[in-house]
Amino acid sequence: MAGRNLFATTNARAVGAFCVAALLHLAGTILIPGYSSPFAVRAMLVLASLLAVASIGQTLVVIMGGIDLSIPFVIGFANVVAAQLYGDGWNFVLVCGLVGVLALLIGGLNGLISRSLDIQPLIVTLGIGMVVQGLVLLWTAGFPSGSAPQAVSSFVSIGGSAGPLPVPWLVPSFIVLAALVVLVLERTAYGRRLYALGSNPGAAPLALIDPVRMWVVTYAASAFFAAVAGVLLLGFTGSAYGDVGQPYLFQTIAAVVVGGAALVGGRGSYLGTIAGVLVLTEINTLLIGLGFQPSAVQAALGFIIVLLVSLYGRERHVSTTI
Amino acid sequence: MSTRLLSLSRSVGFAVVLLVILLAVNLILNPARFQPGSWGALIGLAAPLIGAAIASTPAILAGRGGIDISVGPLMGFVNAAVIEVLFLKAGISSPLLLVPAALLIGALVGVANGFLATVVRIQPIVATLGTYLILTGVTLTILPAPIGPAPAWLKALAGPWSMLPLLLMFIAWGLVRRTPYYDQLMAVGSDDRAAYTAGVDVTRVRFIAYVMSGVLGGCAGLMLTALIGSADPNIGPTYTLIAIAAVALGGVSLAGGRGGVAGAAIGAIDIFLLQSVLTTFNVSTFVLQIAYGAILVLAVMLTAAQERLAMRGR
Repeated sequence: MAGRNLFATTNARAVGAFCVAALLHLAGTILIPGYSSPFAVRAMLVLASLLAVASIGQTLVVIMGGIDLSIPFVIGFANVVAAQLYGDGWNFVLVCGLVGVLALLIGGLNGLISRSLDIQPLIVTLGIGMVVQGLVLLWTAGFPSGSAPQAVSSFVSIGGSAGPLPVPWLVPSFIVLAALVVLVLERTAYGRRLYALGSNPGAAPLALIDPVRMWVVTYAASAFFAAVAGVLLLGFTGSAYGDVGQPYLFQTIAAVVVGGAALVGGRGSYLGTIAGVLVLTEINTLLIGLGFQPSAVQAALGFIIVLLVSLYGRERHVSTTI
Repeated sequence: MSTRLLSLSRSVGFAVVLLVILLAVNLILNPARFQPGSWGALIGLAAPLIGAAIASTPAILAGRGGIDISVGPLMGFVNAAVIEVLFLKAGISSPLLLVPAALLIGALVGVANGFLATVVRIQPIVATLGTYLILTGVTLTILPAPIGPAPAWLKALAGPWSMLPLLLMFIAWGLVRRTPYYDQLMAVGSDDRAAYTAGVDVTRVRFIAYVMSGVLGGCAGLMLTALIGSADPNIGPTYTLIAIAAVALGGVSLAGGRGGVAGAAIGAIDIFLLQSVLTTFNVSTFVLQIAYGAILVLAVMLTAAQERLAMRGR
């Protein structure tokens, strides 16, 4: 099997996705004037970084064999709560701390309920997400106010620069964060346990892996990174918006899958997810640059996701699993 | 018959209890709305969600991550295609043409989903996410803004005749249950490797499940059209997740091979009645959403707890 299929390993899939992103960029440069201009590339890097931060949690959760539909709701929650409290005159560091802790609690609850009662995380995270969004709407009466502090805005601003680098601080910070995530997945006991649990949930407890603890920790991490994305998006858009996370529901899943992860668990890597994020960002920019309507962009995105995954994300036939 | 009822109640379990409680609460709070005279309109109001839940079931039953998240957008696409393209532009109003057209659209989308998920073997949630995005995009392209009206006969399907499409769906599923295919579907859903070793054509069984989801989704699209009496490109996709929640609530295992259409329908009715109770209290939509999410989680938790008890008792 491995000999016949070029994309049999996760690494090869990630490399494949990076190649697709590069090809798309090449196509954009040829088709659209100014596609590779410094400003356009900077904009793409910022958008890709935001999506990649939001996708960290989805990657971890998918490797473990779960799925997290609460990410868009937690993004909206962090976005609105941070703006509101900062607008009320709170210290922004304190605000971020509070939002982070609340996000960890939300995520932990997702993991605890899903694993300890063995319920589909799809339903649990959806339900918890709806409760969170409802509470935020209730608190702000549907009209969130407030804005981001200047520091956050310039941290993610497309026009910003990080010292000598012509990109905002978000991009180098993200690269450091990404390296840390990869390190945790590849080189720590937590990473090994995550893959083990995803590959074989039945055998993992025999290797003294506590499934409930792993699920609580991983879902908490997922919600935490969603909250980080929410605060960053606050700086990016300038004002609070409860539905700011909604496009991230399917985009995080698509990025993870285009990056070569299997939703049944045990397979995937954060580098792959980053490649998937780049592919999605390139497709979006390319199609909008070619003058497609948003609805047509969406249709084309669906088509391309299916096409890409059929190239290298195919499942094994049942006859080869016996 | 009684053993079948017993096994149904065991698999659906908590959803039935919830149904009875919610029905009683609704009757006490709002007797006028549940008068026999308004049953037609009431069922018409609940029908699209019930239809969407029923349509989501076969793909989930087929197992190994089988799921069809394109049911909602398919309903929206059928809605737009039937009203905007066939009725308003081409002037076709006969049910003899429109109903088969809707079912055919559903079948074709089901074939596409089935091909991607079983022959190309893309993970089902990703394959149907692809069709989800394509259908949503195409629907918005052919119909950028809501438009009406719908033919009179179609509107009647949300009023006095609202039982008819649901009844037909149940009859169709009842017929499927009588075929050997049904046993193969449940076998593949429970353990595809064992089914394969026993000589079942796993790919074919799963493929047909997606086609069934598509056809039933086309029917649900007609129910949606009947209810809103017009075409609206934005309503369809909202049914997707809530339909899957209804299926899970109704005791259909998202791992496959367990549950059925009756459970899914009961789960959907639960959600509908829950919405109805919460609306009667005249609370803000925000509180509605909180209660809705919380009860959804609580309900699946209680279902899981009850299943554990049942397993222990055996």
